[in-house]
Amino acid sequence: MNPADYLQLLTALAPEVIVVCTALLVLAVDLLGLQGKPHSYRMSIAAGITTLGCAAAVVWMFINPTVGNWHGGMLVIDPLNETVKAVLLLLTVLTAILSVDCKFTRHVGEYFALLLLATVGMMLLVSTEELLMIFASLELVSLTLYILVAFNKDSRQSAEAALKYFLFGGMSAAFLLFGFSLLYGLTGTTHVPKMAEKLFTIGADPLLTVALVMVVIGFGFKVAAVPFHLWAPDAYQGAPLPSAVFIASGSKVASFFVFAKVLLLGFSQLAWGDQEKATGGWVPLLSIIAAVSMVLGNLAAIKQTSVRRLLAYSAIAHAGYMLIGFLAPGGDAFGSLLFYVTTYALTTVGAFGVLGVVESQVGGDQLKDFAGLARRAPVLAWCLMVFLLSLAGIPPLAGFFGKFYLFAAALTNGAHNLPFLWLIILGIAMSCVSLYYYLQVLKQVFVVEADEQARPLAVSFLTHAMVVLLAAVTVLLGCMPGWLLDTIHTAIGELGW
Amino acid sequence: MSWIAQNLWLIPVLPLLAAGISALLKRPSRSLAAGLAIGSMGASFLLSCAALVATLGKHGAAARQVHNFDWFALGDTVVRLGWVLDPLTAAMVVMITFVGSLIFIFSVGYMAHDENFTRFFCFLSLFAAAMLGLIIANNLLLLFMCWELVGLASYLLIGFWFHKPSAAAAAKKAFITTRIGDVFFFLGIVWLYSETGTLLFYDAGRGCLEQDALAKMVAHTTLGGLAASSAIGLLLFCGAIGKSGQLPLHVWLPDAMEGPTPVSALIHAATMVAAGVFLVARVYPLMEMQQAGVSEPIPLTAVTWIGALTAIFGALVAVSQTDIKRILAYSTVSQLGYMMMGLGIGGVAVGMFHLLTHAFFKALLFLGSGSIIHGCHEEQDIRRMGGLKKFMPVTFATYAIGMMALSGVPFFFSGFWSKDEILHAAWNYGPSKIPFLLGLAGAFLTAFYMTRQMCFVFAGKYRGHGADAHHGENPAQSHDPHESPSVMTWPLILLAACAVLLVIVGTPVWPWLPHYLEGREVHFSLAALFNSDVLLLLLTSIVVVAGGIGLSWWFYGLLPAEKPDEQDPLEQQFPEQFAWSRGKFFVDELYAATFVKWNARLGELCHDLDRRVLDLLVSIVGWAATGCAHVAKLFDEFVVNKLFDVGCGGVRRGAETASELQGGQIHQYLRNIGVALILFVFILAVGCNK
Repeated sequence: MNPADYLQLLTALAPEVIVVCTALLVLAVDLLGLQGKPHSYRMSIAAGITTLGCAAAVVWMFINPTVGNWHGGMLVIDPLNETVKAVLLLLTVLTAILSVDCKFTRHVGEYFALLLLATVGMMLLVSTEELLMIFASLELVSLTLYILVAFNKDSRQSAEAALKYFLFGGMSAAFLLFGFSLLYGLTGTTHVPKMAEKLFTIGADPLLTVALVMVVIGFGFKVAAVPFHLWAPDAYQGAPLPSAVFIASGSKVASFFVFAKVLLLGFSQLAWGDQEKATGGWVPLLSIIAAVSMVLGNLAAIKQTSVRRLLAYSAIAHAGYMLIGFLAPGGDAFGSLLFYVTTYALTTVGAFGVLGVVESQVGGDQLKDFAGLARRAPVLAWCLMVFLLSLAGIPPLAGFFGKFYLFAAALTNGAHNLPFLWLIILGIAMSCVSLYYYLQVLKQVFVVEADEQARPLAVSFLTHAMVVLLAAVTVLLGCMPGWLLDTIHTAIGELGW
Repeated sequence: MSWIAQNLWLIPVLPLLAAGISALLKRPSRSLAAGLAIGSMGASFLLSCAALVATLGKHGAAARQVHNFDWFALGDTVVRLGWVLDPLTAAMVVMITFVGSLIFIFSVGYMAHDENFTRFFCFLSLFAAAMLGLIIANNLLLLFMCWELVGLASYLLIGFWFHKPSAAAAAKKAFITTRIGDVFFFLGIVWLYSETGTLLFYDAGRGCLEQDALAKMVAHTTLGGLAASSAIGLLLFCGAIGKSGQLPLHVWLPDAMEGPTPVSALIHAATMVAAGVFLVARVYPLMEMQQAGVSEPIPLTAVTWIGALTAIFGALVAVSQTDIKRILAYSTVSQLGYMMMGLGIGGVAVGMFHLLTHAFFKALLFLGSGSIIHGCHEEQDIRRMGGLKKFMPVTFATYAIGMMALSGVPFFFSGFWSKDEILHAAWNYGPSKIPFLLGLAGAFLTAFYMTRQMCFVFAGKYRGHGADAHHGENPAQSHDPHESPSVMTWPLILLAACAVLLVIVGTPVWPWLPHYLEGREVHFSLAALFNSDVLLLLLTSIVVVAGGIGLSWWFYGLLPAEKPDEQDPLEQQFPEQFAWSRGKFFVDELYAATFVKWNARLGELCHDLDRRVLDLLVSIVGWAATGCAHVAKLFDEFVVNKLFDVGCGGVRRGAETASELQGGQIHQYLRNIGVALILFVFILAVGCNK
């Protein structure tokens, strides 16, 4: 490999390089220049640098749209993963803005640097077709997220959550790596498309089944699908708010993207196992996981009194819905899945934004802390309504169209459409159940009166602006879903899936 | 394509924006509403002038610039809208925006004491937007939508003082009467669409007014041996009859004078009522399609005869009316008849030329009458006026110009030349000389009734309210008429100037305007005037006009009326005929005794049917429904609710179980993964081996 190739690689990797440099810059500025300054000042500066860095990376991608494949699939850049990377950077920026008002740490520089490094991990994760690279970047993401969850050193809960997350994550990473090595043993390659060709010649093999299940376990942990979800409620509750937001949004988008890509690209031959019956391959396996996730997530959410845990279980349920998108092969379903996960991530960030204000001003995340929010912070209350109703899938909000496209794609795809009718009916029924617990929150907000001495909440301009903007986006994407969906479909179309 | 042709939509959209904004204003923001309306109209006027400039110097088809766009698609059918810039459009938008601006300005003075000033300007702007949209439309559907919108605006403005029962009734009458014409108009549109598959007028050879479509329609013969083009033309003309107050649907127009006078000037004299004439001019290529075996195009023959009859009818009624605005209203009916006749026998240029000149002087006359009414303390009866010449000199001077233009006083007034064009065309009309004679008689009557009105209003001494009491004792409390403020007189002066100046571009010596309208080149030729044909006709019409004015002066001017309740001199001479004229030939009474009555009978019949038969059926259905409801209620209580309770209980228990899974013990969590691995591998293995 000669120097010119490295230069080319560096150019292709420029967005990632920009983000890494930003991470170092944030660290340096905070450690060298801002020690002893007020906390909020340091936070604002660091968040500002983060925002600028991410924006620069996005701008770079817009100005230099690259398409290419380096080192046999180690680095693959196409319009689709550029879009996903832009979404990830946007989510990072939103997380950074949310962090400004949170007081959980004195180590500002380190916190933002880790956030950015996690972002780099996700960006690499979505732009590779190589198992090793997938594993390495997945580990980069996971390790930084473990630290981010543990970042509130004054809180026992934070430490406990981080430890659980770490142990669970380590275990599933081990499974994933085991699965990958089995695959390498069977096919002799770690390049996903080549692996797919080899698998075609091998056919159904018991070892392959084990490998497949292990891969599903590894990714199932990342997307918090039942039965690999158990870390999620604890982590959501114990983690500092911005870390929880990042796990729920950015990490989710990246993981779903790579999960779908590995299964659809690498295991497409194995989708149905035996062609005659709907059993055997990963499609029935995932349909079971999806069903269990929807049922368990939604049911458990009903009993929660902590809104964070409620959102965690709702995330599990949503993972179930999203897994339905895997069951229909083809670009349509994949596009719908990406639309769903993107709108879900934006909505969740908004809901967490409101939750953060309530936590810091009222002092807790229990349902009763939301009582009378409509009087105390009317704008936030209305935005929260938009977010929760979108999560429940009420038209004309983004969440409704996300579900609609996903279900429609799963129903109208190819010869194998009707086996999943039951799953979609279950999904719709479970959406009704979910409406119950979302409305529980809204009942507190709009119906239940606040205490006598409750005063209006002081909300910073930045938070207000961000929450209102996200609510507007939720409504707009509901009214004009084509705006995002067309971009995704065009990008997928260019890949020729 | 020029910039203005691309952006022609701005002309109607500006007043529309003004209407939208002032609809949201509160009542006290009067000056803002007026400013918005006048400002938007002024801006539209400038744009219209730009549009006019863009059409200058081009001839034939090159003078037409079209911009079409897709509106929506239903399956494979794409509905397209668009606008067209040609001399017809340009001349009309310039006229409308110019006259409209002046009338808006006049309204500021006229409506100064009205508490709903803001609403008034909102409606006026809405009207202007719809009217301008109607003019620029290159699609019959778009034209129809704007057509209905001007109808709505007219309804709102006629009924602006809706607390007056007569105004409310007049608004309803106008709306319903024009709707009769519109039904046929719409049928025509639907038919046209089914014949040609498009409603665009011009679309690079595919439009419904272009050669292919027209040829197809002429070739298609429908019932009674009528070509489709003729039938559609007649149907479209029905819409024009309603909107332009032609016989037999003219009854709404005089009643529409219940609205504020600026409204009468703008809508019921200058612009909206001319929309029917404009429609005929716009679809002229369709109208003039000649079907095989008939010497003249059938639709145009209808246009000619209806127009001629309306012209003489309106003039006959106007002779005996006493309400200053009603005289003008019947005069408008009559003049619209002239325009139609001009279109029917002479082509687009003849009719449209009269439309444009008429717009100026009739707006002038209406605004003048508004000024008079304003000055005479809301008095509208000409018998209670008189001698206003010395109280209102500006109004008098401008009104006199308008009157002379309308009567067709020779040489210096635009009305003379445009009316002469029509008579000239009628003289050369092949099939019959009767339209010419009717037109000539109408011209005589026009001169007669306008002179009568002038004599009543301005000559003699003041006979109005309080004329005898405290004569000059207390000038401060005087009830004498007064001149209007300058915000009202300036528009009068400008309009009067236009009524005169239009002469320059319309004489046979240099007939720029008529030729421009038809996209022809124009040459200066003094000889055109001394053509024996033209000269003879000029002399005839001069004699006729002079006769009308002289006779009227002899009747009314020599011996002005002394008291308001004096008998009309004409009535003394011809009591029977006068009664017919004063009674407007009893058309309203005829309609009341026939159509209105039949309609009421039908209504009663339906009501009875409703009460006796349908109510019974409804009651039976109701009882049945109540019975079913009781059954459903029982079902609901004992089956659905029970099941729902059971279901909810299940969900609740499930929720408890689900949340208990979360034990908080990490080793349990990890064990879970192992169990899942074994379970899943088992499932897959079983599945594969089957």
